[in-house]
Amino acid sequence: MIFRSIRSSIRRKVILIVMATTVSALLLSAIGLAVYDLRVYERQWTSDLTLQAEILARASAPALQFDDRDTAAKDLKLVRVRRMVLQAALYRQDGQLFATYARTDAGELPGFPEHPAADGYRIQGDQLVLFRRVVENGEPLGTIYLRAMYLPWNRLRDYLTIIGVVMVASVALAALLSGWLQSTITGPILEVARVAREVIDKRDYALRAKKTTGDEIGELVDSFNGMIADTGRRADALREADQRKDEFLATLAHELRNPLAPLRNAVEILRMPVATPQMGTRALEMMDRQLLQMVRLVDDLLDVSRITTGKLMVRRSTIVLQDAVRDAVDTVKPFLDARQHSLELRLPEAPVAVEGDRTRLAQVFSNLLHNAGKYTEPGGHIAISLERDADAAVVKVADNGLGLDPAFTESIFEMFVQVDRSLTRTQAGLGVGLTLARRLVALHGGSIAASSDGIGRGTVFTVRIPLSGSTPEAAGLAPASTQNAPRRRVLLADDNVDFANSLASLLTAHGHDVRVVHDGAEALRVAAEFLPECAFLDIGMPKVHGYEVARRLKASPATADCVLVAVTGWGQEDDRRRARDAGFDRHLVKPIDPEQLEAILAGAGRAAKAGEGAPAKG
Amino acid sequence: MADVRTRALRLLFACATLVATSLFQQAQAQARLEVSEASVKAAFLYKFPGYIDWPASTFPSAAAPFTFGVMGQDDVAAELERLVAGKQWSGHPMAVRRVNGDNGLAGLQVLFVGRGAGDRVGAVVRAAQLPGLLVVTENEKGLTYGAAINFVLLEDRVGFEVAPEAAERNGLRISSRMLAVARRVVQR
Repeated sequence: MIFRSIRSSIRRKVILIVMATTVSALLLSAIGLAVYDLRVYERQWTSDLTLQAEILARASAPALQFDDRDTAAKDLKLVRVRRMVLQAALYRQDGQLFATYARTDAGELPGFPEHPAADGYRIQGDQLVLFRRVVENGEPLGTIYLRAMYLPWNRLRDYLTIIGVVMVASVALAALLSGWLQSTITGPILEVARVAREVIDKRDYALRAKKTTGDEIGELVDSFNGMIADTGRRADALREADQRKDEFLATLAHELRNPLAPLRNAVEILRMPVATPQMGTRALEMMDRQLLQMVRLVDDLLDVSRITTGKLMVRRSTIVLQDAVRDAVDTVKPFLDARQHSLELRLPEAPVAVEGDRTRLAQVFSNLLHNAGKYTEPGGHIAISLERDADAAVVKVADNGLGLDPAFTESIFEMFVQVDRSLTRTQAGLGVGLTLARRLVALHGGSIAASSDGIGRGTVFTVRIPLSGSTPEAAGLAPASTQNAPRRRVLLADDNVDFANSLASLLTAHGHDVRVVHDGAEALRVAAEFLPECAFLDIGMPKVHGYEVARRLKASPATADCVLVAVTGWGQEDDRRRARDAGFDRHLVKPIDPEQLEAILAGAGRAAKAGEGAPAKG
Repeated sequence: MADVRTRALRLLFACATLVATSLFQQAQAQARLEVSEASVKAAFLYKFPGYIDWPASTFPSAAAPFTFGVMGQDDVAAELERLVAGKQWSGHPMAVRRVNGDNGLAGLQVLFVGRGAGDRVGAVVRAAQLPGLLVVTENEKGLTYGAAINFVLLEDRVGFEVAPEAAERNGLRISSRMLAVARRVVQR
């Protein structure tokens, strides 16, 4: 039904356009011709009649002169061959009617004028009356009178008849032609419309419009087909992404929930009055492990958000790659031990220098190691090696685990993709580790690839990172020794009472003088009298927010030297920049690593700003 | 009685008046016809040169007059004199001369031999066969004598007949337009 109306409407439009063009062109030219012709008709007819009168005048001059009415009448009768002339008359110079002629077949005619009028012509309805002096040798002899038919409307009617016939013929011809021609234009368009509707109705993106011409419409058909194909691909990709996201959310919920049960158990154990110190220690170790796992998950989540918003960054400096590998091994070792894997570490003696971010590269390798440990049955063998070839450092992580269908060597790097869905959920992870690894390696200008001899034959991940031209600098900040940390005055401002109090207990236990406040106004008041050496400020505090507190502390001479540390749940580059602008020396993202805290406090007394920009994990 | 007499007298008077009036009118009409006939002939004579070509050699000089000669009909001459006063023919001033015999024809362009010429007509016409002279008569045998144009009276109306060859003999050409209004055109 809808088809039919579309079909008929576009057809009708084309025919209408052709008809309208034809008819209006014909009408305009007809009107122009008619107007022109009417003017020409009047001019020609009057000049024709004037000539006639002149001839008559000349012929009848002797008759007038020699008073010969018979000859005059005979002369006048000559006009009878002109069928349009109805009457003719000759007047003498004294105004008397001299001779007349009237057409006998002309029907009712008015009488001859009694006296001649002045020279010239007058149009009276459908007749034309003309007077003309008869002059011989400069002597006026009389007047010729002619009355003739003047029928421009007849002519116009003839015209209109011809135009009408021509128009009907043209319209018929145009209709025929347009019917024939439009199939070449509207045909393909209708085909596109039909296919479009079918695609929408059936959601079948495999449909294609047939291309029949090579002109612009042909191009349109090509583009249209291209768009369907593209839309189909997008729809598939969206569906797939959506599915992966659903799976990811399910996994995330599960993963975040997992550590909670052991944590609750541990808390219960610690509450039990009968718990032995041994049991307490074990419970605490377990809590620490589970917390670490949760922190890792949340870190991964933050990285995922950075990847999707394109804000993932690395900081470049010349580093020794062996260090990053060792960091990664240190991180993953407990997990591998728990899975009873044996780990083989092969590093060259000479330092391999690359331009990069040690923490991020360690993250890449630990992700690969973690992945290897996860996809290898307990008691497996995992090897990590570092080599250098002509222009790149090559790190290989190999296992003898589940292996990989060669078809998946690329897709495993896509977000949320997990190859083996048979894995128990406890081991599954979020499916972002490899995506993150690839992105980080790409940011270092390197590449990452997976290879496998097949299912059950293990997997090898190969990371290539360009070598650096320069030699690495001396190691950055020496790890702060907690034992020698001097006693500091510390102000802690956070409206999260639990977080503030627990951190305060930790710092007090390390021997620092700590004051705790829960809003910005209180923080400013206490700071003015307490004069802290270091202040940890939450950003989203009641009354006065953290940026403002920082600005005022920096503005006051008494507290200008205080090291200001922003403590937030947001670690995006934008947040860091705003904190820097407000006067913060450091920016930490919750949860806070106690060691980092100590490092900051150790440096707080001396060059406060030396450590700015040091890696803040988050 | 007196009434009857008076009445009879009145009737008689009326009749007399009527007769007198009609007689007078008749006489008047006759006079008018004669007058108009002379003036029509004069007018025709005056108009003929408009349809005739005279060779330039006819005139001794550019200022020489175009002269009509009238013989035997003074009323026509008088009327013609009135008509040509101040008029010109191709730059030549028009003039009228009364002619009495066959001498004195030199210098004329048109010679009209009226009814008054009597039986001298033939002799005069023959004598008037001169180059550049148009001879007009008013005689049944006028054309036979050799005149180019001859007036005829038909149904009380003045007309003329033409012998183009007679004119050509004297070196004159008569326009075909004039021939169109002639009563008769005599060809040999």
